[in-house]
Amino acid sequence: MDPLLLGSVVGLITILILFSGISVAMGLLLVSAVFLVIFDGMRSLELMPEIFFGKLDSFALLSIPMFIIMGASIASTRAGADLYEALERWLTRVPGGLVVSNLGACALFSAMSGSSPATCAAIGKMGIPEMRKRGYPEEIATGSIAAGGTLGILIPPSITMIVYGIATETSIGRLFLAGVIPGLLLVSLFMAWSIYATWRSGERSAAQVSYSWSDRVEILPRVLPFIAIIVGVLYAMYGGVATPSETAAVGALLCLLVAMVIYRLLSPRSLWAVLRDSTKESVMILFIIAAAGVFSYMLSSLFITQSIAAWIGDLEVNRWVLMAAINFFLIVAGFFLPPVAVILMAAPILLPVIVSAGFDPIWFAVVLTINMEIGLISPPVGLNLYVINGIAPDISLKKILVGSLPFVLCMLVAILLLCLFPGLATWLPDLVMGPAY
Amino acid sequence: MAQERTGGARVGATGVIRQISEVSGWIAATMILGAVFLTCQMIFIRFVLNGSTVWQTEIVVYLVVAATLLGLPFVQKHKGHVNVDLLPMWLGPKGAKLLRVATTLSSLCIIGVCSFYGYEYWHLALTRGWTSDTVTAVPLWIPYLALPVGFGLLFLQLASDCADTFFNLSEKSNGAV
Amino acid sequence: SELRLSHQWSTKDIRHNVAQMVADEVAAADVDLTIKIFPSKSLFKPREQYKPLSRGQLDMTVFPLSYAGGQRPAFNLTLMPGLVKNHDHASRLSDSPFMDELKAEMEKDDVMVLVDGYLAGGFVGKDKCITRPEDVSGLQTRAAGKSFEQMLVGAGASIASMASSEIYSAMQTGVLDAANTSSSSFVSYRIFEQVSCYTPAGDVALWFLYQPLLMNKSTFEGLNSSQQESLLAAAEKAEAFYLSQAKIQDAASVEVFREAGVEIAEMTPADFKAWRALAKDTAYKSFVESVPNGQFLLDLALSVE
Ligand code: NA
Ligand code: NA
Repeated sequence: MDPLLLGSVVGLITILILFSGISVAMGLLLVSAVFLVIFDGMRSLELMPEIFFGKLDSFALLSIPMFIIMGASIASTRAGADLYEALERWLTRVPGGLVVSNLGACALFSAMSGSSPATCAAIGKMGIPEMRKRGYPEEIATGSIAAGGTLGILIPPSITMIVYGIATETSIGRLFLAGVIPGLLLVSLFMAWSIYATWRSGERSAAQVSYSWSDRVEILPRVLPFIAIIVGVLYAMYGGVATPSETAAVGALLCLLVAMVIYRLLSPRSLWAVLRDSTKESVMILFIIAAAGVFSYMLSSLFITQSIAAWIGDLEVNRWVLMAAINFFLIVAGFFLPPVAVILMAAPILLPVIVSAGFDPIWFAVVLTINMEIGLISPPVGLNLYVINGIAPDISLKKILVGSLPFVLCMLVAILLLCLFPGLATWLPDLVMGPAY
Repeated sequence: MAQERTGGARVGATGVIRQISEVSGWIAATMILGAVFLTCQMIFIRFVLNGSTVWQTEIVVYLVVAATLLGLPFVQKHKGHVNVDLLPMWLGPKGAKLLRVATTLSSLCIIGVCSFYGYEYWHLALTRGWTSDTVTAVPLWIPYLALPVGFGLLFLQLASDCADTFFNLSEKSNGAV
Repeated sequence: SELRLSHQWSTKDIRHNVAQMVADEVAAADVDLTIKIFPSKSLFKPREQYKPLSRGQLDMTVFPLSYAGGQRPAFNLTLMPGLVKNHDHASRLSDSPFMDELKAEMEKDDVMVLVDGYLAGGFVGKDKCITRPEDVSGLQTRAAGKSFEQMLVGAGASIASMASSEIYSAMQTGVLDAANTSSSSFVSYRIFEQVSCYTPAGDVALWFLYQPLLMNKSTFEGLNSSQQESLLAAAEKAEAFYLSQAKIQDAASVEVFREAGVEIAEMTPADFKAWRALAKDTAYKSFVESVPNGQFLLDLALSVE
């Protein structure tokens, strides 16, 4: 069968199977097994555990559970609340100050957590009830946290950047740096929208709290642990102490220590809760990564990957039309699949095309990540939506969606800006690590 | 009476499986924590003591791979594996039920296949005496053991979930009659 | 029929060219045989190719044989410091009784060699040149392969194990002071941007890695005689090309480093002797201890002039 036709058949069946309610990883294993048996024979099943193990057998991947522990341990303390409270006391005069503070807290927290749901949970747990208490519209309260949480995978450290780095052999240190400025840009856009939205909905409905200067100064020390962790991790990563993949362990240990010593997270029960939640999220993600690895072996073995890449490469379209089409594809894929699955399946096919069309792979990683962020707050599989739903079960999913929609538009604006000014992504890594190759 | 006894045995069996999955999760969590400490130890040896760090990377990787596999039944037990249930929503309650039976059975199939060939691969490494190609020369049957054990326990947990839903459904329909 | 060949290198690499050459020659022979190449580890991970090859799941691979040292310890001799002096010596080694022994080992795994070939490599230092064992003392060093790690530990170096793709950033941030790998990896990972001195493979070199084109033996025997003949003819042609290109590769890497302003150091025969003496006490010794007929194999290899 023609590989392109076969590719469409595989694509269609994969979509059907994944929509059936089977878990994503098992669905991918199932589709791979079926097509391997049909086209490579029964014996290729022998290879499945071997490939599964091989895909996980990589030092860079191990940083994923560690970056998750980082976020989870701090998230289980009051630290998230301290963070937005500190910001709030300083930003009280800004319209929508509390929303802006929560967004700022999300951005700061993202610098410690590699995952989006963790960021969402850490800030949202305290932030959403507080915003509702003060009379902010429920749409804005939930939408802003859902969107702010997505920064977890854009602002370094980032699990998706690690996965992209492994899949495409690009430097993880460089990828991390590339996310910084776009992350700041995105959070500024989010803030701008929130200020406008709260102003429009009538500022007076939200209760104003005023703080004295001593209130403002008094809370500053509570932000110090954050600064210490972030500085510590940056020093480990770029100061010659450890490679980016090793740094995750330093971060995890630092965060655990800070949670135990400063936030008195000492009872075995709460420590186990941190470890349990991190293990659950890590295993879920790593299972998808390994299964997606088996899936991409199947695609490659059936020559589908190579044929699609060659086919796209032969299309004589304008490179920006190509980029628009790729973005469309990624957003649609992100609606349904978790980010790591999309990256692992799409990167090997898209990267050669991207590079030969003259786009920078580091820049593309940022665009790809923002696309994945959109997927995190869109149905039917929006991990952040579930988290918000868990925090505020009485708010309907529809309201959360309506609230996050404007933030999706902000993300699209950010993608557009990145296309106009690629330097937003590439300038910082070039500055810190020398020009790219 | 007889029915009660089989019901009790079933609850006993699924209870034991759930316990095993929980313990497997603890082991996985401990392994991840161990990987964190070992990596920090490696950085300390290298950065502070300027010593050799030959074996750590490899062991850390094996710990995380094993943690992933042993964590599978635990995450299954806590319904932590992500899924997309578009078709069941679209099909309505009756179709959804049928579809759930189909997806559970196919999950069992595919995980069964992985357990079986995982066992074979482990056995091959054991009988042929494979080691890793490093100075540490880790006997590969040790890390590969996680394949049959992890997939095997996931299979059991899936089967137990399956049994639970099946019996719940039939008990409910009995009650209705 | 169709054969599947997998390897880890890009399509610009000479090892890909060798595979491509065999594929082209076989196609030109018109014997109803095509070779489909999966480059850049698009099918299997680099170290995961030998197992499927030996089980017949993969037909051919271009493969550093020492990667399979965990399965057949004798293969560790194919990346042993100081065992091979230069490319001509390597070529003589490929046709020696020593290699016949290794090929007998491969046969146990249902694997055969189509194209023999060695590639060389060298050392880079972040702050200084590395020519003698004393030079690595106290340095954080990344070595390619187990035997090299053992020898460098013997020289007082500290070993940091990482993938060759991590060398660049580890050198940049200062995690690593020195590294040892193949000439082509040095160039493809652009290591010359991060180091001050390069010790390439010259008249004498420590680092030689056997990277043959392997094939599953049963698959080969399953082909008809005209297919087998065309495959062997293609392999012979490719082998000559491989040897000539391997030499050019070393020279080209020196040129790249020189252009980047990196100092080029040379290893003298006396330096080589010092390394080899060290290797005898470390890597050779541990090899002999861990492999039942290790001493016999080592002597066979050392006896090749
Ligand atoms: Na982050
Ligand atoms: Na989504």
